[in-house]
Amino acid sequence: MTRRLAGLLLATAALWGQKVPVQEYRLDNGLKLLMMPRRGDPNVAAGWVARVGSVNERPGITGLSHLFEHMMFKGTHAIGTSNIAEDLKNLREMDAARAELRQEELALIERHRRGQIEDPKDPKARTPRHARLVEQYDALVKRGRQFLVKDELDRIYRSAGGSGLNAGTDSDLTIYFINVPSNKLELWFWMESDRLANPVFREFYAERDVVHEERRLRTDSTPTGRFREQFDSLFWLSSPYGWPVVGWPSDLEGINREEAEAYFAVNYAPNNLTACLVGDFDPARAVELAKTYLGRLKRGPREPEPVRTREVKQLAEQRMIAHAETNPEVHIRYHTVADNHVDEPALIVLASLLNGRTGRLYKSLVIEQQLANNASAGARGLKYEGFFEFVGVARPGKDPVEVEKAIYREIETLQKTPAGDRELQKVKNQQAAGDFRRLQSNFGLLMQLLSYDALGGWETINTFPPRIQAVTAEDLRRVANKYFAPENRSVGLYYTKTSPGARPAGGSR
Amino acid sequence: MKPGPVMVTALLALASSLGAADIPAHPRLLKFEPLVYHPPKAAPHRYALANGAIVYLVEDHVFPLVNISLTIRTGQYLEPLEKIGLAAMTGDQMRAGGTGSLSARDFDEEADFLAASISSSIADTQGNAGLNCLTANLDASLKLFFEMLRNPQFDQQRIDLYKSRRLQALARRNDRTAEIEGREWERLLRGDRHFSTAQETKASIESITRDDLIAFHRKYYQPASLIFAVSGDFPPKQMLAKLEQAMSGWETARPAVPKIPRPDHTPAPAVYMIHKPDVNQGRLSIGHLGVQRDNPDHYALQVMNSILGGGAFTSRITSRVRSDEGLAYSASSAMALGTYYEGTFRASFQSKSATCAQAAAIVLEEIARIRKEKVSAEDLATNVNYAIEVFPRFFSTPAQVAGAFAGDEYTGRPPNYWETYRDRLRAVTADDVLRVAQKYLDPDKLVILAVGNVDDILKGDPTKPEYSFQKLAGRQPIRRLPLPDPVTMVYPQP
Repeated sequence: MTRRLAGLLLATAALWGQKVPVQEYRLDNGLKLLMMPRRGDPNVAAGWVARVGSVNERPGITGLSHLFEHMMFKGTHAIGTSNIAEDLKNLREMDAARAELRQEELALIERHRRGQIEDPKDPKARTPRHARLVEQYDALVKRGRQFLVKDELDRIYRSAGGSGLNAGTDSDLTIYFINVPSNKLELWFWMESDRLANPVFREFYAERDVVHEERRLRTDSTPTGRFREQFDSLFWLSSPYGWPVVGWPSDLEGINREEAEAYFAVNYAPNNLTACLVGDFDPARAVELAKTYLGRLKRGPREPEPVRTREVKQLAEQRMIAHAETNPEVHIRYHTVADNHVDEPALIVLASLLNGRTGRLYKSLVIEQQLANNASAGARGLKYEGFFEFVGVARPGKDPVEVEKAIYREIETLQKTPAGDRELQKVKNQQAAGDFRRLQSNFGLLMQLLSYDALGGWETINTFPPRIQAVTAEDLRRVANKYFAPENRSVGLYYTKTSPGARPAGGSR
Repeated sequence: MKPGPVMVTALLALASSLGAADIPAHPRLLKFEPLVYHPPKAAPHRYALANGAIVYLVEDHVFPLVNISLTIRTGQYLEPLEKIGLAAMTGDQMRAGGTGSLSARDFDEEADFLAASISSSIADTQGNAGLNCLTANLDASLKLFFEMLRNPQFDQQRIDLYKSRRLQALARRNDRTAEIEGREWERLLRGDRHFSTAQETKASIESITRDDLIAFHRKYYQPASLIFAVSGDFPPKQMLAKLEQAMSGWETARPAVPKIPRPDHTPAPAVYMIHKPDVNQGRLSIGHLGVQRDNPDHYALQVMNSILGGGAFTSRITSRVRSDEGLAYSASSAMALGTYYEGTFRASFQSKSATCAQAAAIVLEEIARIRKEKVSAEDLATNVNYAIEVFPRFFSTPAQVAGAFAGDEYTGRPPNYWETYRDRLRAVTADDVLRVAQKYLDPDKLVILAVGNVDDILKGDPTKPEYSFQKLAGRQPIRRLPLPDPVTMVYPQP
């Protein structure tokens, strides 16, 4: 059996020799275009990434990267308006009205800080001037609708068969993507270059409210959302990874359009962008279109700076004890290394060794010791920092602390005993098969190329698989000793708070 | 006044006009080559094996991978009422519990070492099994896959673990408002007596024995009940021979599978509320029963719903609730066509407690409007064009093509359905849209469900007293629904 598999692995290695044949073209303004033409259905997965995310924010504007992503769908000088001059004039008046409203809001926040009012958002606490300003602002919104062509960007793409138009923001990057029928490639270049060249951030304040609803949806109104957020901000001591991508509520209520425009000027300049096409298209034509359309973007005023604030070294273990409507769980998280660090492949192999039906955590904690009903591990390399996390769900009747201790015993084994040959080969086989599976969908490949390029270069898609195959049992033992130290970890313990509906009247704790 | 941003905008506009000699002023001025596309036909890919199993083969050699997606004629609707959870447990434990020749642990080890992804499950109206493996490993992987299908052993320890996990999950059924909303919405529309709303309980899970799993598997997993969708890197003749061989000696008795029962419940239109104190956002569902997919009006209904709330940002509900008013992150409607019985129409959104009533009022306004006003030519064209242009994406990978063939055969879709699909959509007129909106949307039958902090939801927005749920409920009282005990699913009596 083992011999047969060795043969399989050689065959796989030979196929890697071909590599993923991405074509790269760089425009004079610094924008990088990646192309991966493939025959198949008559569609192109198309997208671009801005190398900016919540890690590039600062206190006061947390959540701006994500809010900004929403603003990129609000149109341009040509799209989304019937009268650009009147539209811009109205937007300026709206900004001015908002700036005055902000003064009123700040006064309410100050009164709240002094304990003079209970809720700074209570309309009853507002001054007559405040109420008047709200009315004025609402009138401007209404007036603006005269020149507004609602959601025209979406409408144009939709009637052309563009599907899955969306975008995503993470701590290190912001990706915009869509699938277009092959005959609409020029439309994609038109639309994307237009919103990069001439954007207009319409409906800014309504969209800020939408983002606040998104925060309520994902974080505030889920049983563990706010606890996860607290754990993140506890884990990171100095790094900006400590604030949530969606932003703190106070910042979402304070960010203004001027801040969004300043942010755009630096971070959405072509020298900070990579575009990518995967699917049924002609690369020569794509390059011509890129020159015509994306070539018109002006290089930014300055190169965006790398994030200055680095994580300081953690000196003592940190613990969070939460009571939530969830299973009893333990989360153990260690500081590790950034995505492109030489230790990253070993950390990823280590996580695979622990995961799945034949992983050590399942076999030991779930099947043998019967302490946990689920257990998993994950390595996460971010652009500037990284972490490794263990999660265990305690069996009913078991304390998550018992699961925590069992995880430490597994860590100790990793630190002392090298992994077996077969075990390591199994993980490598799975990684090798996964490398092919990940390439199958055009959209999936697009997302990988853009993410890789934002973190360290798209070439990672070809250089990473051999680095995984080169990991040795000794590497695993070494990284387990290097990173899994008690003073380098934060531990989150979750205890079950009973659902209010499940018990008689009297409510819940 | 702030000069800063204005200057930036003006500068950018200038930059664009300088380099833009060849660029049309608006995308409507762009010209596109016509896109010719013919959907794949099923017949050339279809094979019937000697034992009655059906196989669809879609060959593709780009990657050294083989994918099998198997549909089995069974389902949760076949389990006895006192053993709710039996079908799902059987599906799961076929994969987890080992086979005649391999213990549970050895099966897992072997599959993982081969890097073969093997799965099994049973959903409400069908069973599924899957294999994805490297071509180089096909024979060894197929051997495991068919051992699982033909001779699962249902290891007792794995059954115990499954039960422990299920019981733990059952106890958490009232934690998430999204889960509560989904479950209670189905109950309101389908009633308590239909298989689609049957719920596992502690007693039902505990009552299921290994013998029950063995019997359920034996009854339904037979060659004549199988439809294979196979795609990837293989010569078709060889693949057929491998499948024939893998199934040799498997008995061919076709099990008598009863028809899927239709629900017999008439939903009671009213405003319903479920209290969950710790959240600051309410989840709303608004709708009623819909149509079955063989209804000839379903093309017009698809276009109608796309304009109303199914067309992402171009649709009316999303546009008004989300982008006009900033009241929700997600606001939409769906006209879900039923395969075996009537589907549902459901509009939904999530909004902070205070603004749920306002957003609900907007949804009702838009339902009323699409029943009253003919849609514009532009709205019609945008949504018809989209449905036509996006059509090739239904068949964008070999696995999708094979899966569509198998799915259509399993559910009995007419063979020429996809060939005429785009013409049927093209034929939809604004009059059709108005007619189906009037026929299939009924404001008097709407069920409105809100899950969240009911006290805050009922208070509403003090600056907008014109919106309230009492107003939406009319003369009827707002009905508060209790949460059940999540373990026994017994609902307290009001």
